[in-house]
Order: sequence, then structure tokens, then C-alpha cells
Amino acid sequence: MRIRHFIALLFASLMFVACDKKPAAPDPQLSTRGTVEVTARLVEIPEGAIFKRDLYDYAGILKYEVTAVHRGSLAKGATIYIGHYNPWKPRAEAADKKMKDIGGSLREFRAGELHRMALETPMDEHYLGGIVDKYFGKREGQAFWAVWTNPAE
Amino acid sequence: MNSSIPIQLLRLVVISLLHDPATLLADTAALAAEVKSKGWIVFPARTEKSDWDLFVMRPDGSERRNITNTPDANESYPLFSRDGKRLLFRRLARGENIDGNDYGRQGVPMVSKSDGTDAKALGGEGDLPWASWGPDGKEFACLSLKGVTFVDASTGKVTRTLKRNGFFQQLTWSPDGVWLSGVSNSFGAAWSVARMNALTGETNAVSTTDNCTPDWFPDSKRMIFANRHASDVALGKTGWTQMWMADADGKNPQLVYAEDGRHIYGGHVSPDGKYVLFTGNPQEDGDPANGGAPMALMRIADAPIIGGDSAVLRRLHPNAKSGPVLTLPKGWEPCWTFHEITFAK
Repeated sequence: MRIRHFIALLFASLMFVACDKKPAAPDPQLSTRGTVEVTARLVEIPEGAIFKRDLYDYAGILKYEVTAVHRGSLAKGATIYIGHYNPWKPRAEAADKKMKDIGGSLREFRAGELHRMALETPMDEHYLGGIVDKYFGKREGQAFWAVWTNPAE
Repeated sequence: MNSSIPIQLLRLVVISLLHDPATLLADTAALAAEVKSKGWIVFPARTEKSDWDLFVMRPDGSERRNITNTPDANESYPLFSRDGKRLLFRRLARGENIDGNDYGRQGVPMVSKSDGTDAKALGGEGDLPWASWGPDGKEFACLSLKGVTFVDASTGKVTRTLKRNGFFQQLTWSPDGVWLSGVSNSFGAAWSVARMNALTGETNAVSTTDNCTPDWFPDSKRMIFANRHASDVALGKTGWTQMWMADADGKNPQLVYAEDGRHIYGGHVSPDGKYVLFTGNPQEDGDPANGGAPMALMRIADAPIIGGDSAVLRRLHPNAKSGPVLTLPKGWEPCWTFHEITFAK
């Protein structure tokens, strides 16, 4: 009997803890950086868009479909193009002396995944360097500049 | 068919003569004698104290001398004014490595007489980014995120600004003052060499394979630049960087120098347009974090030249010569003036 009581008590405690668990607090970096904040799905990673190159920094342009707009005047469902600095690096390790104000918790870009991002626009006013753009000549308008990139639920 | 056999034999004889080591040695000695009295070359190089100072030497590599002597600082990116009387360069903290992508905006901009004396700072850390002399030496063209700015060299005031239209590094004002060259991200390649009209800001691509370190011929109509081997890039390899030249509208691209196993960068055309200086290093980007690379000098009229064994390159460019190429001391991003510098004793 004692064992049954103990197991029931343990189960109830676990349930209480689980129900009491609050959702993770939103990353304040997302809400305070950039001028636009979205959750968007990474549509694809074109061949050659992301590669490791130690000596030359570059920004890679990636295609996203917006699934939620948290700040800014973008439309849900819109297709946008976003430049990520040295996309072969985890976002927490991407900032350097030249590009200090970028980051995030995303470790790796994978097609189909959702990212929550703080963005700037146009990219040209925030980034000075080489751009690997596999959508060159196929897209219209300026790309956004990724300031902060986290994985989204 | 038969008539082509003597021509082929003659071609083989000529190629054999051109590749003959004794002939090449004599040709190289002749080249050295030809350029010896043609002014001075300035370049940054490591000193015996391991910092980077500015050196000058005759174009044949003789009379080398240190003109900054600053063991507590590094100097880089020296540019003679078009009249050769003044020198623009950047002074970095001793502990800061020269960055192959960023050297034009590192440290403090400095100007001195061309012998290195009377050096003074033109601003603070990062000021006058990618500054390049105007044709009369009265203005600099600079490049930053904000655009291309034209700055009065005596007051430091910005006189006008253009949109940068994708230009992001290695800005050089043409000798006639009409154009700017630079590396751009707006032509579908991460590093394109491009030309900008200095009045209107209008741009055109000169070469859209991964390129860098563009410089002008004295007529302001042609450019020389480093060009990554297109076939290797297509295969997903980085390839060995080669020296190419083209009309500034992108037409008539021609190989100048290539060598498997060496990256060729920093092309600088002599003030008479007859010779070109460059650096070549087994390490990517000229290896400024270490000792720099051996520099070299060749006649434009001898182009194309293929160095080393470079079997694939020789198949691609069957009419290329093997020299003469004058090997110069280690350095980085050299610049040439025909002005006769007088040094104080």
C-alpha cells in the first residue's frame, strides 16, 4: 500500500509541476532589435548558398515564407529573402569585429524549419561585404538583414 | 595540311626557347635592368622586430629601405598620390593583424611625404575608409556603409556623396578622375570587380567571377584584377587566384599571370602602363597575418605568363610564356611611382 501511495503522490506531484510550467519567456533580443520581427519558414537551402569559408566573410540570402508577424508591416504568407552573416556558423558565434550586432540561438540552418527573427531593412544599409545570392535575378526588391535568429516552436 | 607542319615546328621551337631556363634567366636579368631606374615601389612588409613597416625599393628590388620605422605600430595599404610626392597609408596598433578584407578601413589614416617623413594622422580609428587619392591629390574618395564620399584632403570635409550601389571594398579612383573601381556585391557574384562613374554613381560589372584587388591602367580605360579560376569555382573548389586585365566595360578579358599553387593578388600597373606588380602566395589572401607573399614584376606585353609546372593551365593557355618574371622581396599590396624620391641622409 505504501508503495502505491508513494507512486500516486509522485505522479500527482509531476502533474502539478508540469501544469505549473510557464511557457519560455520570449527572447528580449527579438523584441528590441531591428525594426521587423517575424516567424518564418525557411523554404529551402539552394546548393552552394551556405559553405564554410574561414578567410572570407559573406552573407547568404535565404528564402522564407512568413507565418506570423510580431512587429512591422509584413503580410502573413509573404515570401521574403533574408541575408544571414556567415550562415555556416551557429548564430551565437556569428558576430565578429565587423558585424557586432547579430546573434541568436539557432545552431544550424535546415530547410523547412521555423525561425523567429528580428530583421532590418534594407539589407544594403546594414551590411557591407560579399553576398552569396542564389536568387540573383530571380527575386524583386531588397533583402532583409537578419539581426537575431532563434529557432521557433 | 602539310603547310601547317613547319608553322607547328616553328611554334615548338619558339615555345622551347621561351621555356629554356638559361634564356629565362637572361630575360629576367634584362627585365631587372630595364626597370631599375623607373622610380620607386612602396610596400608593407614584416621587419626583423616582427611588426609591419612601410618599405621602398627600386623596381628591381634594390635599395630597399624602411621609411616608417615604428616598432610599436603596424603600417599597411600605402598609396602614392598620382604625382608621387605624397603617401597615404593606414597605421594600426601593433597587436592588430592586417585583414585581407578590411585593410582599407583598419587603423588610422595617415599621410606623409613619399619618403615617409612628416607623417600625420588624418583622423581617428576607421576614418576615411578605403581612401583613394583623387587625380590632383586634392580629394580622397572613400567607401563606407553610408556610400561613396568625396573628402577634401586639406580640410577633411565631405564635399559630396554617392550611393555605393553594392560597392563594398577596395575603392580606387581612376587617374583621369572620371571613374572609381571597386569590389561589388550587386552583380550576382559575392565579389565582382566593377566600375562606377564618379559623377553619376552609375555602375557596370567588369568581371563577375569571384574577383578582387582591381586597379587602373594609366589610360583609365582598362583594369587589372585578381580573378578566381572559373572552372574550379564551377566545381565548388576555391581555385587559385589569377591576374587578369579587361577593358573597364568588361570587354576583352585577358589572362596576365597564373600559377597553380599560388594565389595572385594585389595587381598594380606601373605609371606608364608597361609593367605590373603583384603578390603570389600559397596561402589564401596574401597571408598578411604572417609574412606576406613574395612580390613579382612582369611586362604587360609578355602576358599571358604561366608560372611553375601548372600543367592544366598550360593546356588551357597554350600560347602563354613562362617568363620573364622578376621575383621581388616579400610584401603586400605594393604601389609604384615614377617620381624620384630624395631621401634625407
